[in-house]
Amino acid sequence: MKGSVAAELFLLRKRRSTWILLGLWTALAFFFSYLLPYVEYRNGDIGGGPGQVGLEELLPDHLAGHLSGGFPFFGGVFALMLGVLALGSEYGWGTLRTVLVQRPGRLHVFAAKLVALGAALVPFVFGVFAVGTVSSYAIAWREGVGFTTPSAWDVLRALAAGWLILAVWAALGVALGVLSRGTSLAIGVGILYALVIEGLISAFADQVSVLEPLVEFFLRANAYSLVEGLGASTTGAATNGPGAFSGPYVAAEQALVVLLAYIAGFLLFSGVLLRRRDVT
Amino acid sequence: MLAGATSNVAPTIEDEHRPFGVPGPDRRDAGRFVVETRELGKRYGDAIVAVNQLTMRVRRGEVYGFLGPNGAGKTTTLRILLGLIRPTSGSARVLGAAPGSPAGLSRIGALVETPAFYPFLSGRDNLSVLARHAGVPSPRIEVVLEEVELTGRAGDRFATYSLGMKQRLGVAAALLKDPELLILDEPTNGMDAAGMAEMRTFIRSLGENGRTVLLSSHLMGEVEQVCDRVGVIHGGRLVGEGTLDDLRGRASLRVLAEPLDAAQRVVAGVSGVEHVAIVDDGLRIAADPGSAAEINRALVESGVAVSELRLERASLEKIFLELTQGAEEGR
Repeated sequence: MKGSVAAELFLLRKRRSTWILLGLWTALAFFFSYLLPYVEYRNGDIGGGPGQVGLEELLPDHLAGHLSGGFPFFGGVFALMLGVLALGSEYGWGTLRTVLVQRPGRLHVFAAKLVALGAALVPFVFGVFAVGTVSSYAIAWREGVGFTTPSAWDVLRALAAGWLILAVWAALGVALGVLSRGTSLAIGVGILYALVIEGLISAFADQVSVLEPLVEFFLRANAYSLVEGLGASTTGAATNGPGAFSGPYVAAEQALVVLLAYIAGFLLFSGVLLRRRDVT
Repeated sequence: MLAGATSNVAPTIEDEHRPFGVPGPDRRDAGRFVVETRELGKRYGDAIVAVNQLTMRVRRGEVYGFLGPNGAGKTTTLRILLGLIRPTSGSARVLGAAPGSPAGLSRIGALVETPAFYPFLSGRDNLSVLARHAGVPSPRIEVVLEEVELTGRAGDRFATYSLGMKQRLGVAAALLKDPELLILDEPTNGMDAAGMAEMRTFIRSLGENGRTVLLSSHLMGEVEQVCDRVGVIHGGRLVGEGTLDDLRGRASLRVLAEPLDAAQRVVAGVSGVEHVAIVDDGLRIAADPGSAAEINRALVESGVAVSELRLERASLEKIFLELTQGAEEGR
């Protein structure tokens, strides 16, 4: 198992798309979480309007909560793509059969891929928090305002929640990659789900009451609920961008359980499919 | 023959003279068969039968040619043997293990269809990934790269390789585990003439080193040059199996002589001659090829002018066409 995990980590490390996704996610997180709001603040555009944040949100005090808000949707899409590429590409290139005939069983290879994928998500979380830390301190220094250093516990919880949310989306990507035995359709369907399906049903749920309980179990609803429980500002999430979310929020404990169940469900589905289907 | 030299157990007369495609009874020395399938089948829905009641046996230490036209079911069979595809009927054992089991796969090297590798990695890095999965120590990578003469380009990305180089990397990957059984599916596909010749010599040498090789090909010349025994597959069925000599049938002697009637009478009187007939302005003689000199002497001593005396054997191509056409008509 150790050798297979090392092989999969080597693959992810050598793969350009991993670095492109990591770079884009980190750069865009910096742009949307700090640079753009700060430019708005400096230009006096921030007037407390809907979806807008004040300077205090950009300071180190709110580091954990401020950054966590980007994970449920925005970061999720990057993790989804990473998950799809990790499994779907193996079908596209035909390398799954090359690996499987080497010796390890199918579930062995699958488990190694998941461990490597889980490890690859760590820099996705730490990268954003590193950029966020530098940005928030730089803003505080430039504005000459006082701040308190965020507690290590808050940051740790935010890091763990960020990783968990990315893991759910990556697991969805894995499931779609295995199901479609490729990458294009899987990424398309994944983004369609992220952008449209949950949003549309959530919108209908406002008018059709029977849909409300369903919405409470949506991936995005539970991910936003988890980070809200950690003190994340969800004001921006309500109105800004394609991943707009206005609730309903559930208890953080329920969110945690639902997200873990999503991971288990997606991976079980993928594992069964990978084990049972012919590899051509 | 190579198989006889390397096999632990010599083939019996019963084995060698069994009708083509008809398996023998279960034997106590089952360990001599590296690959055994029994009425193996693979259907896709009701319409497509890729493999149909295929029974075959590959002996330890032989180079077995799996010959058939494109779409005959060769690759599907090999994929079943490697556990990539599940059969819909029948059974198979490879090195005594179920197809696809890690215990079996650890002793098998395989190249199935087009070599598939990570395009963004170099040839060496691709082998490194596979070696880690297989638990093979990394020094082995350089050994196999050397064996397939790819060391010079091993640092280049796989995406930049020619088809022939990809094939060689595929063979290198198959050799990584220093396997007992090599399953090679069309290994010379896409190679130029020189590359094909080299690869065939290489495969032959692998067989001579005691490995069992199951070589799938649609090229009769390739099978003829490399293999000890051949299984002919057509329409998913094994329509013939045996040594090349078995498949070609017994050789006959061909004699061109004048006068032909006198020659026929003389030859018929030579001891060991089973049958002699006039065919196409010459004689076709069913006899041990070793009696050619005696036949020649008898003819010359009888005053018959002999202009040609040679061994005549059906080509594998002819046998292949007969077997596959026969199977077509039998459907």
